[in-house]
Amino acid sequence: MTPPSPTVLTATNIRKSFGDREVLAGISLEAREGEVISILGGSGSGKSTFLRCLNLLEVPDEGQIAIGDVQAPLARNRHGRLEVSDGRAAARLRTQTAMVFQGFNLWPHLTVLQNVMEAPLRVHRRDRDEVLATARTLLERVGMAGFHAAYPKRLSGGQQQRVAIARALATNPKLVLFDEPTSALDPERVREVLALMRSLAEEGRTMIVVTHEMAFARDVSSRVVHLMNGRVESSGPPAQMFGPDASPAFRAFLSPAAL
Amino acid sequence: MEEHLTFIGSVTAQLVRAVPVTLLILAVSGVCATALATGLTAMSVARSPLARLIQRTWTFLFRGTPLILQIFMIYYGFAMIPWIRHGMLWTAFRDPVFCTCLAMTCCCSAYIAEIFRGALAAVPRGEIEAGRACGMTGFMLLRRVIAPSLIRIALPSYSNEIIMMTKSTSLASTITVLDITGVAQQVIAHSYRTLEVFCAAAALYLLINAGLSALLAALERRLDVDRAVPSISVPPVVEPLS
Repeated sequence: MTPPSPTVLTATNIRKSFGDREVLAGISLEAREGEVISILGGSGSGKSTFLRCLNLLEVPDEGQIAIGDVQAPLARNRHGRLEVSDGRAAARLRTQTAMVFQGFNLWPHLTVLQNVMEAPLRVHRRDRDEVLATARTLLERVGMAGFHAAYPKRLSGGQQQRVAIARALATNPKLVLFDEPTSALDPERVREVLALMRSLAEEGRTMIVVTHEMAFARDVSSRVVHLMNGRVESSGPPAQMFGPDASPAFRAFLSPAAL
Repeated sequence: MEEHLTFIGSVTAQLVRAVPVTLLILAVSGVCATALATGLTAMSVARSPLARLIQRTWTFLFRGTPLILQIFMIYYGFAMIPWIRHGMLWTAFRDPVFCTCLAMTCCCSAYIAEIFRGALAAVPRGEIEAGRACGMTGFMLLRRVIAPSLIRIALPSYSNEIIMMTKSTSLASTITVLDITGVAQQVIAHSYRTLEVFCAAAALYLLINAGLSALLAALERRLDVDRAVPSISVPPVVEPLS
């Protein structure tokens, strides 16, 4: 029996409210190396907010986060609210992760190649030749090898998202967060991006994916988490979640799609 | 007719000699106002309420009062303050060119700061988040992500402001500076030939602004990444990987 793979992410009891509206009502999640966790849920169930808490783009009101064995620098201020107590430490934590956004968010003034090289070169200060070689390999990997000099504006949504995925991988992060990566794409482009994500999963990347793509969740992920009203309603391996023993709430969530 | 042309020729020659004064005022106040506006923009998004208050008050005061009054107040008004009149600063404040530059710096910085502030708000949040998500902070985020977008968004309005400033420099003539307008009025006082002289002066301002517009438009084109790459031949889309 192989020993359990090391824990990459531990999020404990994450809570977050916007004004009076409680979006996250205490969510815990642990991700082990190589796991692909799909987070599903209706709109407003808090899944994107939860994902954004994991790299502190959103500061939770309660809870703890650790990437590897590095604790997120969260502390209470004098009003008792949780806040990032050390900006640099938070940035260091983020360098261990990468994020792929629904809206791609490539930097429009940089070429495809520059977009991919930016973080390893400037943030991680790695050797330029090494970074360039990695960037070339990655762009080839995502099928964008011929587009080094192109600017994002010129690319289709699917192409932009593939570049964004290459950019996310360029620092070789421990954990890749996907925030509805295919929601802004037309169906044909969705296919090419999902195929790429599947290949990343197969090579053992640790990924947390907020998605509406049920087929991806079922076929690719190692664990499915269903969020409802800011809580984990049910979770488990896809065989269980999509099998006959699934929770009624999750089945109700799925049923419109199944029709 | 010939006398006409000779007169315009000699007037133009006199006016051209004043062009450096106009350009000096423009350059000094342009650079200083831009630098000050950058600081004011930073203050407008600062955490400190005091910094934000100072920025708002500055804009309120200098945008809300006529530039010519600001020039008068600095040139004539400050001379009434004993510690300026008799202090070290008098060397500067008795110089009308300095006073014009100072007034224009204050006034135009308020306008430029508003341009920058608007542009900053228009920088897509997602680009900034992508920067933060990969671990960028503070100055690097500003330099690598925010500023490049901000400059591109602000440039058209900024160019407009610079053109306005060029014309505003003519107010210096009201406090004895012999810039293009100042010299024009001097010539008119001798010759009483208003139309020719003002036309010649106007032509010079047009020329300066035409040059500036061309320069700024070239900069805008250069920064527009979409046009900077002349229609790249798009290679065939590589088919989805599996």
